[in-house]
This record gives sequence, C-alpha cells and structure tokens, in this order.
Amino acid sequence: MAQLRQDYQQFVALNTEILVVGPEDAASFQQYWRQEALPFIGLPDPHQVVLKLYGQEVKLLKLGRLPAVMLIDRSGRIRFAHYGHSMADIPSNQEILSLIEP
Amino acid sequence: MAKVALNTPAPNFTLPDLHGNPVSLFDYLDRKNVLVVFNRGFF
Repeated sequence: MAQLRQDYQQFVALNTEILVVGPEDAASFQQYWRQEALPFIGLPDPHQVVLKLYGQEVKLLKLGRLPAVMLIDRSGRIRFAHYGHSMADIPSNQEILSLIEP
Repeated sequence: MAKVALNTPAPNFTLPDLHGNPVSLFDYLDRKNVLVVFNRGFF
C-alpha cells in the first residue's frame, strides 16, 4: 500500500483511479486509511462478493489471501490481470503504469 | 475458482466506500481507467 501511495500521482496523471478491495470490515479500513493516509478509494468487502467475483484465491495454509491486481480500461475491459502466487507476488507499479493508456 | 479473462468486459460491482457511499466500477466507464487491487489483508 505504501508503494501505491507513493506512486498514486502517476496513476492520476494517466487518468486512472485506484480501488482497493479487501475482506476487512469498514472500521478496519477506516483505521488503516487514517493511519497510512492513503489517497485512493478503499472498498470493504467483508462478505467477499467482489473478491469471489474476480476469483481472488485464498490459501488457508498460507494464512490468508493472495494479492491480485486488475487493470480495467475506460471501455470496461480487463487489460491486465495478475493473480499472485505468493504474498509477495505483486506486479511493480512501473509495470502497471507502462500498460496504461491515458 | 474462475478467474477473469483478458480483453473481456469486467464484471461490475458496487460496494460502499469508507464513508458508506456506494462506488461502482461502472461509475468510471468512459471516464477513467481503474486499477482494482485485491488486498491480501492489512494485518
């Protein structure tokens, strides 16, 4: 999240909004957003509706969810999808930024 | 679990934001690109 915060203005410059979806409840989101001063939009999904819709994997033995990132263009099409194979398997912001057409 | 396919229409969703205001993916149609980050958990 800190890396995303640092590069947020680059996403904004490319006409891109960031939505962060997670399984925590609204109170946890609010606390984390305040603590980290995050500029993008947080969407609590405690019933995991969207997480399931997009197929985020849960690995119980690895104690949690695996990260996933989707880039959706202005026409509503999925241009990039990355499903992490481990907790640390997250594409770099530069990789994502290079794919965005403003 | 099904995963989404590239270059296909993204399924819409609507969730309340931190302030309880509904946010839909399709709010951004024709206006902005959207990066959806599925967080692995804060803790």
